Amino acid sequence: MGKVILKIAGFFILSIGIAWALPAYAHHVLGRPAYSLNEDSNTPPSMEIETQVGKYYVSMMAFPAFPKPGQRGRVNLYAVRIDNGESYDGSVTFTAREDSWFGSEQEVLGTQPPDDRVYRQGFAFHKAGNYIVRAEFESDGEPYQVDFPVRIGSPVPVGPIGLTVGSLAVLLIGVNIFQRRRLQRIRASQYHAGKSSSKEST
Amino acid sequence: MMHPGLPAAWVETVLLAVLLLTAWVLRTPGYHAHSTPTISLANLPGMGSMVRAIVSQPWIQLALRLIMVGFFIMIIVSGLFGTPVPERNAATVLTWTLWWTGLIIAVYFTGSAWCAICPWDALATWLVRRRWWKRGNASSSMNLRVPKWMRSIWPALWMFVGLTWLELGVGITTNPYATALLAMLILVLTTASLAIFERKAFCRYFCSIGRTIGMYAELSPVAVRPVDYDICANCKTLECYHGTDEIEPCPTHLVMGRIKQNTYCTSCGACSQSCPYQNVAWRLRPTGTEAIRDVRPHWDAAWFILGLLSLTSFHGITMMPFWEQWVRSLAVVINDSGQLLTSFSIGMFVSMLVPVALYAGLIQIAYRIVGNSTEYKRLFSSLAITMLPLAFTYHIAHNLNHLLRESRGLSGVIFNPLGQGTLPLSVAETHFRHMNPLLSENVIFTLQAGLMLAGFWLAVRIMRSRITRLSADSLIQRMISIPVLFFLSSVTLFNLWLLMQPMIMRM
Repeated sequence: MGKVILKIAGFFILSIGIAWALPAYAHHVLGRPAYSLNEDSNTPPSMEIETQVGKYYVSMMAFPAFPKPGQRGRVNLYAVRIDNGESYDGSVTFTAREDSWFGSEQEVLGTQPPDDRVYRQGFAFHKAGNYIVRAEFESDGEPYQVDFPVRIGSPVPVGPIGLTVGSLAVLLIGVNIFQRRRLQRIRASQYHAGKSSSKEST
Repeated sequence: MMHPGLPAAWVETVLLAVLLLTAWVLRTPGYHAHSTPTISLANLPGMGSMVRAIVSQPWIQLALRLIMVGFFIMIIVSGLFGTPVPERNAATVLTWTLWWTGLIIAVYFTGSAWCAICPWDALATWLVRRRWWKRGNASSSMNLRVPKWMRSIWPALWMFVGLTWLELGVGITTNPYATALLAMLILVLTTASLAIFERKAFCRYFCSIGRTIGMYAELSPVAVRPVDYDICANCKTLECYHGTDEIEPCPTHLVMGRIKQNTYCTSCGACSQSCPYQNVAWRLRPTGTEAIRDVRPHWDAAWFILGLLSLTSFHGITMMPFWEQWVRSLAVVINDSGQLLTSFSIGMFVSMLVPVALYAGLIQIAYRIVGNSTEYKRLFSSLAITMLPLAFTYHIAHNLNHLLRESRGLSGVIFNPLGQGTLPLSVAETHFRHMNPLLSENVIFTLQAGLMLAGFWLAVRIMRSRITRLSADSLIQRMISIPVLFFLSSVTLFNLWLLMQPMIMRM
């Protein structure tokens, strides 16, 4: 029994030693927008997304984070190879489309060469809504596409509310109709059963 | 932004205690669970009559439900129309920082009371039954029986896995819009279930939140129980089960006189309101008594507990700096892009598989020790309950960090739920919040260390009781306890290690 306890103690000590030896690194959640105040201004925030596409690690930033309709904004893109850390030096084409469930027309914002290894694209949307800015480039004969959500103004999200209320209404009305018909069927069968039993008794 | 983990001194103290406990249990593994004293709050001098009045009247519950529905609507409006900055929007702050973290802590003190004021159930009931609290018209629902293959908590387990995937993979915890969408989706599912199936099938079989609460409530020192068991034993009318003309029957098919475990009780109050003898009230009992003595082993419940254990630890793993390195490396290998959801899903699957495989393997060893006297499945189910305190205490310890470090600024969100005109937190503000929690760091560390130790202690007590029921032979008891203790101590050690690490905050 003593040996077992010694072995368990050894396991604990070894494990805790391994735990202490592991280093800790900084962290960023890939693909999720992060809002921050940056060096461009101390008031309007910017939005950043970091992501990994094929052989590249891509960082995109939109400034300001929440532009109003007609307000000029900018998207910056920076791409480095995951294997050797070299930055991408070709050209990048930026397009934009409405972020809707049903397809919308895509518009080319521009094609940009690198400016100090960063690709900068200006934009101005005149209608409030949710848009997707897409950066497209090619490397080693493979196409790369990175999507970036941009929200202009305060669009009214009637879609989800309408869908929820609509689903609930259809469900409740459907159940109500089903139940009414079922009750009618039950009453009818009870009526017929009562009629036949009264005939038998007479 | 990261905050410091549990100091080494605390970890060493807990480890020493775990070692001593392990050694002691190996010497005396068997334990016969004796009946323990419990007190019904309805019998307390001075406040007993007040307790009976409160639990038998629906008005207090209705008022609380209205408040919760108010918050629920506020969350949906904030999520859909408010700022997308998560730390400034009531949808994300109230849902994930306050409710989801605080709920698990509250289960210990209030059992399954949350289910009684759940806004999803309240809204679904009002929509389908078209009554504020009285028994609805029978024709308002199709009242179909839940198909046999769905009559278990497997659906709730899969919903819990899905919720965790959305939470940690997709990242709805930092997306107010997605948070509102999820809230509305759950409302549609709850309403659909109530309109189609008999009683409250969603609460019993499908709700991952309710079943998590139900499982953890087995360890809670409070439960809804008969005031006098003899009255229930002689009751022939069973209003608690069938309901009355005014009051709904038990939504989860429970009979108060026979209830032994909290797993499916939603504390809805139907039994206390319908009982003609006012014989149902809250009862106090020692922590974990139910798990030690009363909980019956079930295959689906065992898997749910395993799911809870692995997913709570997985929450901790994803907040470690190394997690993203792993996911990125895997993404390169499998050519994953964007948010790396495929890589995340594989990582999540493996993280869930490891504890399951380890437990299944160790139970296999125990099975060989026991011989043919019991089935593998029974052994698996019987001993799974030992993991529940480990999952619960780590869950609370982990949530304490979120609740106490991320809750600063709550008042700002309450007064401006849509976050209009607000800016994201600057790096300095975020740092200030995380380093200045609502309670001092030392208190948090003490609570976390205490929780880990309490979890192990309770797990050991449950194990001793379980193995005594499996075999009367003290040698076999000792032999079975070795693999089980190895599993319990490994999980405790791993969770301690997770708590030691600097953890990345969500917002």
